[in-house]
Amino acid sequence: MKVPYSWIKEFIDIDIPADIVVERLNTSGIEAVNYKFGKYIQGLVTVKVLSVKQHPEKEKLLICKVTDGNKEYQIITADKNVKEGQILILATPGTKLPRLEIKPIKFGSIESEGMFLSLQELGIEESSDGVFILDESTPVGVDAAKLLGLGEDEIIEIEITPNRGDALSIRGLAREIGAIFGIKRKEKFPVVSILQEVIPQIELVTEKTYRYRGIIIKDVKIKESPLDIKLKLIKSGQKPINNIVDITNYILIQEGQPLHAFDLDKIEGKIIVRNAKEGEKIVTLDGEERKLKDTDIVIADDKKPIAIAGIIGGENTKVDENTKNILLEAAVFDNISIRKTAKRLSISTESSYRFERGVDIENLPNAQDKAVELILNTSGGKAVGENDLYPKPYTPKLIKLREKTTLKILGEVVLKEEAKEILERLEIPTEITEDGTVSTIPAFRALDIEREIDLVEEVGRIKGFDNFAPSYPKVSLESFEKSEEFDFEVRTRDFFKANGLTEVVTYTFVGENIYNLLDLKAPEIQIVNYLLKSQSIMRDNLAVSLLQLLQDNIKHQNKDLAVFEISSAFFEEYEEIRAGLLVTGNLIKGYSYTDKNIKFSTGQKWDFLKLKGLVESYIHSIGLFNIEYKKSQKPYLHPFQSADILINNQNIGYIGKIHPEKAQKLEVPEETFICELKLRYVPRSLNEEKLKDGYLYTLYNSKKVLKFNELPKYPSVKRDLAFVIDENLELDKLIKALKESSDLIDKVELFDVYFMGEGKKSTAFSIEFRASDRSLSDEEVNKEVENIVKFLQKRFKELSLRT
Amino acid sequence: MNLRQELTALKEEALEKISQIKDRQTLERIKAEFLGKKGKLKNILKTLGKLEPEERKEIGKIANTIKEFLEEKLKEKESQLKESALQEKLEKEKIDVTLPSSWIDVGASHPVRSVLIEISHIFLSMGFSIEEGPEVEYEEYNFDMLNIPKDHPARDMQDTFFLNNGMLLRTHTSPVQIRTMLKKKPPIAIIAPGRVYRKDADPTHSPMFHQIEGLMVDTDVTFKDLKGILKIFLENIFGKNVPIRFRPSYFPFTEPSAEVDIGCTVCGGKGCRVCKDTGWLEILGCGMVDPNVFKAVNIDPEKYTGFAFGLGIERIAMLKYQINDIRILFENNMKFNSQFKGIR
Repeated sequence: MKVPYSWIKEFIDIDIPADIVVERLNTSGIEAVNYKFGKYIQGLVTVKVLSVKQHPEKEKLLICKVTDGNKEYQIITADKNVKEGQILILATPGTKLPRLEIKPIKFGSIESEGMFLSLQELGIEESSDGVFILDESTPVGVDAAKLLGLGEDEIIEIEITPNRGDALSIRGLAREIGAIFGIKRKEKFPVVSILQEVIPQIELVTEKTYRYRGIIIKDVKIKESPLDIKLKLIKSGQKPINNIVDITNYILIQEGQPLHAFDLDKIEGKIIVRNAKEGEKIVTLDGEERKLKDTDIVIADDKKPIAIAGIIGGENTKVDENTKNILLEAAVFDNISIRKTAKRLSISTESSYRFERGVDIENLPNAQDKAVELILNTSGGKAVGENDLYPKPYTPKLIKLREKTTLKILGEVVLKEEAKEILERLEIPTEITEDGTVSTIPAFRALDIEREIDLVEEVGRIKGFDNFAPSYPKVSLESFEKSEEFDFEVRTRDFFKANGLTEVVTYTFVGENIYNLLDLKAPEIQIVNYLLKSQSIMRDNLAVSLLQLLQDNIKHQNKDLAVFEISSAFFEEYEEIRAGLLVTGNLIKGYSYTDKNIKFSTGQKWDFLKLKGLVESYIHSIGLFNIEYKKSQKPYLHPFQSADILINNQNIGYIGKIHPEKAQKLEVPEETFICELKLRYVPRSLNEEKLKDGYLYTLYNSKKVLKFNELPKYPSVKRDLAFVIDENLELDKLIKALKESSDLIDKVELFDVYFMGEGKKSTAFSIEFRASDRSLSDEEVNKEVENIVKFLQKRFKELSLRT
Repeated sequence: MNLRQELTALKEEALEKISQIKDRQTLERIKAEFLGKKGKLKNILKTLGKLEPEERKEIGKIANTIKEFLEEKLKEKESQLKESALQEKLEKEKIDVTLPSSWIDVGASHPVRSVLIEISHIFLSMGFSIEEGPEVEYEEYNFDMLNIPKDHPARDMQDTFFLNNGMLLRTHTSPVQIRTMLKKKPPIAIIAPGRVYRKDADPTHSPMFHQIEGLMVDTDVTFKDLKGILKIFLENIFGKNVPIRFRPSYFPFTEPSAEVDIGCTVCGGKGCRVCKDTGWLEILGCGMVDPNVFKAVNIDPEKYTGFAFGLGIERIAMLKYQINDIRILFENNMKFNSQFKGIR
């Protein structure tokens, strides 16, 4: 809401600069900014239109004669609304407007000596429908910029938190500012006489309307509003329409009470405030046809709905230039009902905005009477009847505030006398009791102040949170728990970073497209009200995001990529924290000296074994060993360059090269390698255990404590052995078998693999033999080698020792 | 030529040859030629027997001097040779030390994760523990139990992504408060860092972003304590004596509630584009845990009080690194990411 400071000043005697008022509003709970209304422009004058005639040459233009009282001007305009007798703002030649300088200009053969201005050209409205028309009582020949207050008046714009509907008016702001500065608000009560000649017939048949008061005003004259009303509306960001509509908006801003004026002659029979019928339709003032539900409230007559209660009026009973008699409605509707309807229909009006946040039900007659007073004074007519339906009058709550509660919450002693003083500044009547105070909560704070704690807040915020010195909690350390999971994640992150991978953060939602491209089934969990279809599916792996990241980077010509992310994957009943790795292109771009002749070669590219080495190194770094690999079935991975990673027979992730066909579809390099590691299990259910099999953290958490081994006392004996084996035998199996084959083997190291053709390969190992209790003799070792070969041949039929 | 002259000539010849030596083999050869058992000096001395004893004695002396002299020269030469051989080896091994190195470079940190971890460490060292919850969350934990009933205007403050399984993407880390208090009884001192989601996308809003939630509950925790903890935290992030302002605000799950501003770190409070000419930057929301939240988790609000706070990580990362569009944080263009090497 924005309003001119000058309007607020009508309700409170204050001469504190707007800057300070705004600063204090901010520090007591209402976000506010202030700025000047427009900019002063030299050369603007109010003029009266003497005559209007058609331009003889140009069909779309009018020639007007106007006067500023001394001088006559000939002005050409395209605005067909310009009529004789109107008072307009003329920019005389030489005037510099924000986007235009006025010069005498010829349209056809006829010269125009200036230009009529709209609010848009004055720089105070985004877009205007036509030139700005002042009401007939405006003096002619005066500086129009001064008249409008351009560059003079301060505008205060506020944003309230949802609980402070009471501040959404001049009245409420004046009350708030009064409380802050300790100044009493002024009230000017309306003086109106409402006859009881024609009582409006109103029926209240919904419980969601707490008060409904209708007043019939007859013989009004629809015209432009007086300048004062117009200006206040413009400065508050509203478009003036006509005197009746303007006054309802004026009172809404001033009092916070939404009003609606119906054209009485368009109402058929009595007014019925009821729930809408399911499917009932109404064309609203914005020209849209709205379909209603039985949870909506409507104002209806005997035949039809004429307004959506508290939100927007109906076209069928609109006040227009021919209106003579009106029914002026002031009501309070259920805030939740209004909110639901407004939200469903996507309409937000000044009226619904206020009803949703609470309207002062006790101020309703006062506000409405002020409107009646204004209408009668500016538009003629007379108020002939009133009907106020208020089934359950407001009964204020009594709420205690104990001194000890304030102390307990704020940590600051606020004596009951001070509490009473503060609360009464907020117009909350308060009495002193033995242990504190008791307040009678007025209607304008009924939704907001319901409990003792709410009064603590009021006292705290008016005293000013900044005025409390900080203190430091003395909380028992009993609650402390080492944050192992966080530690684990930081450790993982640090490892990958230290090993050259760059950390990325991708969106956890993706589109269906990437799943289709990778021949994967899209996961179950999807966003219903997504912003973008490409961000609508909660991913169940990190590869989808990392591959998209790769696509994007290829487009940006970033061809060497080594990235990792620690983030979530989503499943029906749980989530997983995973580490995802993606590498492609150069691992090292630098130079290596390769021989004595001091030549060098450039770079090293990523490949499967390099990434595998990195992953193993990571797993070792968290104290886990015994990594095994099993064929992986991922459709997006190369079938012969991929593997699932197992530790203690638990599948904790996979590693592999992207499937060449998928690489082609994604337009990414074939030499791209991906790895995902399942780090942690995150249950959704509160009672479920977090440590679950199949996650690195679980293994890490439950691993045995490392125990020191005695250093060897006796020397080892080395033997190099070469085995000829089947070409397809995985070496991992052979190495494992070797280690199992003899108690005397201390160390096995592969140093050569040689493909011999005919389905055979030769594998050479350096093996160290050692006994813990003696030196081994050559004979003993030779004997052991024989046993080992026998053992291996039992397991691998085709194995032979190469000599 | 008498012996004397012969010896002198030998000395001259030897000196000449020694000076010509280029390698070890030649040195050994020259040594043998002159000083060896069958060497030239020995040959000359063989004729010594023919001389008078007195002259023999004198010539012998001279011969010895020459021998010692030549031995000395040869030693000198030997060490020279060693020296130059080493020098040669070293020179042969010369490399250009300014060449690009052949090792992996350290990876870059993501600025958001970096800030998240930095902040977590500050609270960890103050004795807070870390809690977490899922990102797909129950409506009850995300809203209802946090005193945000259905149809409350406060739900508008957070545009929610709803899921096809009846749950939602958590709009804040606050449900972790609920999860923690349902499991544990006070004293509680936790923080909850994590990803959160809101249906919002523009230069300052991302549909996915990060928050850290803090919660402290005990018999004697006050709003002034909240101010103390946040002062420590903000001074550790933004520097000592950073101006801090507490503005009363509204969050359904805290009462009283406040928003905390710091003096604009870009313009120092004079007013600029970043602070929208206010001189202040909104940094976090906080307040005293609302009694309704305590009731929802069965903690007695008459006995216990607590404070909670929550802050957006992206905002702080953007301020810290003067990034003006939030979206670049999640584009993961390596030209952006690789700039953040060497931060935590």
